[in-house]
Amino acid sequence: MATTAPETKTVFAAEHDVPIPYMQRTRDYYQALGFSPYRWAHFVDVPFAPLRTPLARARVALITTAAPFQPEVGDQGPGAPYNAAAKFYKVYSVPAESTPDLRISHVGYDRLHTSAEDISTYLPLARLKDAVAAGRIGALGPRLHGAPTNRSQRVTIEIDNPELLRRCREDGVDAAVLVPS
Amino acid sequence: MSLAARHLEDNGISTVIMGCAKDIVEHCGVPRFLFSDFPLGNSAGRPNDADSQALTLELALRVLESAPAARTTVQSPLRWRDDASWKLDYNNLAKLTPDDIAERRKEFESVKATIKDMPGRK
Repeated sequence: MATTAPETKTVFAAEHDVPIPYMQRTRDYYQALGFSPYRWAHFVDVPFAPLRTPLARARVALITTAAPFQPEVGDQGPGAPYNAAAKFYKVYSVPAESTPDLRISHVGYDRLHTSAEDISTYLPLARLKDAVAAGRIGALGPRLHGAPTNRSQRVTIEIDNPELLRRCREDGVDAAVLVPS
Repeated sequence: MSLAARHLEDNGISTVIMGCAKDIVEHCGVPRFLFSDFPLGNSAGRPNDADSQALTLELALRVLESAPAARTTVQSPLRWRDDASWKLDYNNLAKLTPDDIAERRKEFESVKATIKDMPGRK
């Protein structure tokens, strides 16, 4: 008796269902607006330092680009329009023990499709604390650190990054989770 | 953020980036990257969905522990929604009218003026 294999149907994804080409979009967008394009830094070599301590015994830093809430500089709430006045220009640190009030109205998040109403979508502090409580991570660093989104790569490289490293060393961390917003 | 990860890693601190802008992070070149194909602003998972946030963090931790070499990217299996048409919207010129563009140009000029006048700016 002849048998036929069960019919399988291959379903391809839609043409546009790929990671958004942000660099191309941004270049085209600012060019149309009449501004010079941003040039993203890139490198041939990428450093790699394997994790030397098992995560269950490691101390982990959280680093964010979110900004401390500043009541005097206008709307920074969920869905607020881009708020350049809420930007910050120096590395900051806040105790990781607390739940800091950090916002992302100063960056170009997708305001059409999300609203920044839940801090845990851009700051995984609560989930990291869960992971510590579950024994998955040894400990969190005592502070979480804020990295400015300076347009100048020179400032980032010469001033902000050494400062972040200094603070991470002070905190004695083995690893860092970095979350751009 | 990619530059910060590189600097820490260069100095012996292992790093993982959690992010939504795949091309930008990979263009720079970073040691480890957990990519979520979500709208910008959701690097750590979906809003009001602790399970999705926990899964996103767990994937990042696994990448931190087990990446075999630099430039390791892992993509979260989570979908923002079944219909991917949201990806067509962000700063997409093809969807903007000349009036939209003129308005955004004005907004951007005012943003630049704000930044220029800010104390502490470098």
